[in-house]
Amino acid sequence: MIDSIARPTAAIRARPVLGAASVVALFVALWMALIWSPPDAAMGNVVRILYVHVANAWLAYLAFVVVFLASIAYLWTKRPAFDAIAVASAEIGVLFTGLTLVLGSIWAKPTWGVWWSWEPRVVTTAVMFAMYVGYLLLRNLSNDLERRATRAAVLGIVLVVDVPIVHLSVTWMNALHQLPTVLRPDLSPTLDPRMLASLVAMTIAFTIVYAYLMTARVDIERRRQARIIEARA
Amino acid sequence: MSAGSRIGGRRVLIIAALAIAVVIGYIATQTLQSSAVYYLTPTEAATRAIRVGQTARIGGQVVPGTLVYEPASRSLTFTLSDGVTKLPVVGSGAPPGLLREGAGAVVEGVFAADGTFRATQVIAKHDEVYTAPTGSIPPAHQTPAP
Repeated sequence: MIDSIARPTAAIRARPVLGAASVVALFVALWMALIWSPPDAAMGNVVRILYVHVANAWLAYLAFVVVFLASIAYLWTKRPAFDAIAVASAEIGVLFTGLTLVLGSIWAKPTWGVWWSWEPRVVTTAVMFAMYVGYLLLRNLSNDLERRATRAAVLGIVLVVDVPIVHLSVTWMNALHQLPTVLRPDLSPTLDPRMLASLVAMTIAFTIVYAYLMTARVDIERRRQARIIEARA
Repeated sequence: MSAGSRIGGRRVLIIAALAIAVVIGYIATQTLQSSAVYYLTPTEAATRAIRVGQTARIGGQVVPGTLVYEPASRSLTFTLSDGVTKLPVVGSGAPPGLLREGAGAVVEGVFAADGTFRATQVIAKHDEVYTAPTGSIPPAHQTPAP
């Protein structure tokens, strides 16, 4: 049942490479976002928050979809490795959802004119943050590895439902958030090509950061699992 | 319990969790699409006959030629429109940086007895279009009326 605990896997060997790639990709994306791309005609330089805000939100989506997939894989196979992936991804997702809310607030003040408004996407994102904090809390209700992982996996499958709701909320209701800029039905992004390139670069950089954080956090969780199993034996 | 039935139980858990997710998603999307409202358009506000003094949130387009801000008295006036109904808005304080004629805005406040809307909060709405500045030509940042 317990497979390859504390054995250095390919992912762990790749960690230094991912770390170096994160730094390089972030520097390139920051240069594109802060220097190379033009200011916005209406917002001026404030538009540059877009690159980090949207990349943050993307990472939150990605992290919670990984929680969902790892949860199904755990229930299917009962391998603790999938539970480690789920908890690692959930923690990273909570971090980046929180950063999305904070950066969104900082962006809202100079553009909308308010720090916060209970508009549809803000509400659904705040709900997503609260739900995954709840997921992490639920994990601490039991010290029994298997029971904890099973409960968390069921919740990890159910909670993913908010990800499409956050994304689509702006098309269902009138909102302060604008309609999609990049992922549009007509597939023609409504932003300057240099802005789009900067956004894509930042999203790639954040995804590499995610992969790096995952290798580190999954490794920690696998060691924890090994300790608990050793103590039980 | 045999290993086989435990595996079967876990598969049932997956299906049950997916079913719950689908049901929650369906209820949430139906409710959000049909009854959740962030702001009313001026026409919706007129048909709902909102009482004088009752707090409301109204969204629309700032009618070109109506936006006036007097820094001395800090008085801010403009007209919101959804293409059908026009609503005169009276606010106070400097407008948000992105409040432009022809662009979207959301106001929170109350209807006054004289038919104007007394805004306690004026929020500018930005559309999904981002463009580089093009010299003297003003950008086409026009939010269509809802």
